[in-house]
Amino acid sequence: MTDSREGRATEEILFTVNGEPKKVRAYPMERLLDVLRLEFGLTGAKEGCGEGECGSCSVFIDGVLVNSCLVPALQAAGTSIVTIEGLADGETLHVLQEAFLECGGAQCGICTPGMILASVHLLNGKPDPTLEEIREGLSGNLCRCTGYSQILEAVAEAARRRSTA
Amino acid sequence: MGVAAFLHGAGFTGSGERYLSSVVGVEGCADGSVRVLVSSTEFGQGTKTVLSQIAAEALGIPYESVSVAQPDTLEVPNSGPTVASRTVMVVGSLVKSAALGIAQTLISSNLVREGYSPDEFRAACRQHIVKHGPFRCWSRYEAPSGIFWDDEKYRGEAYAAFAWAVYIAEVSVDLTTYSVSVDDFVALQEVGKVLHPVLARGQIIGGIAQGIGFSLYEKVVWQNGRMQNGQMTNYIMPTASDLPPIRVFFEELGNVHGAYGAKGIGELPMDGPAPAIVNAVEDALGVRFDSIPLLPEDIMDALLNPSRQNDATLIGKGR
Repeated sequence: MTDSREGRATEEILFTVNGEPKKVRAYPMERLLDVLRLEFGLTGAKEGCGEGECGSCSVFIDGVLVNSCLVPALQAAGTSIVTIEGLADGETLHVLQEAFLECGGAQCGICTPGMILASVHLLNGKPDPTLEEIREGLSGNLCRCTGYSQILEAVAEAARRRSTA
Repeated sequence: MGVAAFLHGAGFTGSGERYLSSVVGVEGCADGSVRVLVSSTEFGQGTKTVLSQIAAEALGIPYESVSVAQPDTLEVPNSGPTVASRTVMVVGSLVKSAALGIAQTLISSNLVREGYSPDEFRAACRQHIVKHGPFRCWSRYEAPSGIFWDDEKYRGEAYAAFAWAVYIAEVSVDLTTYSVSVDDFVALQEVGKVLHPVLARGQIIGGIAQGIGFSLYEKVVWQNGRMQNGQMTNYIMPTASDLPPIRVFFEELGNVHGAYGAKGIGELPMDGPAPAIVNAVEDALGVRFDSIPLLPEDIMDALLNPSRQNDATLIGKGR
């Protein structure tokens, strides 16, 4: 077996991950998901389908929710990336993480990091979403275990807590 | 609207539990904590939580004092596979009896009395370990009397308990696209005592969501031994937008064969959605269907080519 990447040039890529400046040598078309997981050990983002359908690899790039399995690493150069590992404030969980825990919004956990980031994205745009808006907002993130109900309840609960905080 | 009334056996089928002859251990540690030694594997269904609850309840110690060992067979006995809606009912019962073994050992050694406090429990565990070394109690499965499956004649009681349910689906069928949407879903089940309401409800809703996918979307296309549509773009599973509100109700009649009255839950909710949904579509269209997944093209075919349907499958004539 020869390494199919042999002879291809790596690039030095600079970006910010969860607030920290990072530098990595990677092949330009290397998936951002692999760079995050293999180079930085940030294994929260998961590879579900590897084709941008399931949302379990969701991360934020400059505040935009993306499927990191579809983003070439070079395209993320110079951006600020936030993964699930960057969501909690030290030991204090984000209100959505708390709500997912309490409402039973996670079972096997594969979809959970992406689901929580998609929920953050939803509540950033719509602080007080209707149930239909939550369903729509999370419809790009697939879950095989929960049947979604307790995830939807967690998002509604987090929205309620944020509005009364 | 469609209804399905159904049941699912709890625990391994037939003589399965006899052959498995599962063993469970509970270990009392010097710091007063307790480790549950089982080969059951946690994959999100809540095994660790519920088995810890059972051990804590049996020993009268805080839930936080109980941990579950990694299911590595160097460390844990063979308590059987994590399948067959058996973990809470069968393995849970063994956890309860092994935990009671820890308490009884400490009491009969005069290290504590009935009604001990967590502090007294801790001191007693430490004393027992100092005297006798590692402090573990084991419990092996014993088939309940009166429940016997005859492998020769293939007769008898295949399960010690059954979970029961009635599911009701309300659907609408779009007569332009022939697609079905499930608008409301009510699930009533008797799974014995519900040991953890949030997790139990999660198991039911998750199973129903899979069942809805199984009924209306998820068609596996095989060709030459390979799945032809093994991608999320052509093998369609339900998203958050595709599912109705799933309303879950429990009737708790208990079960003498399960820890604190529990039965199995895991598989039950997969059984009911397809018959309830197909019955609802039949109720809406007056045409009988006998296969799933029931895709829009199947419905179109049945409605546009009624002659292809066997006479008996036209509900008006069949009844």
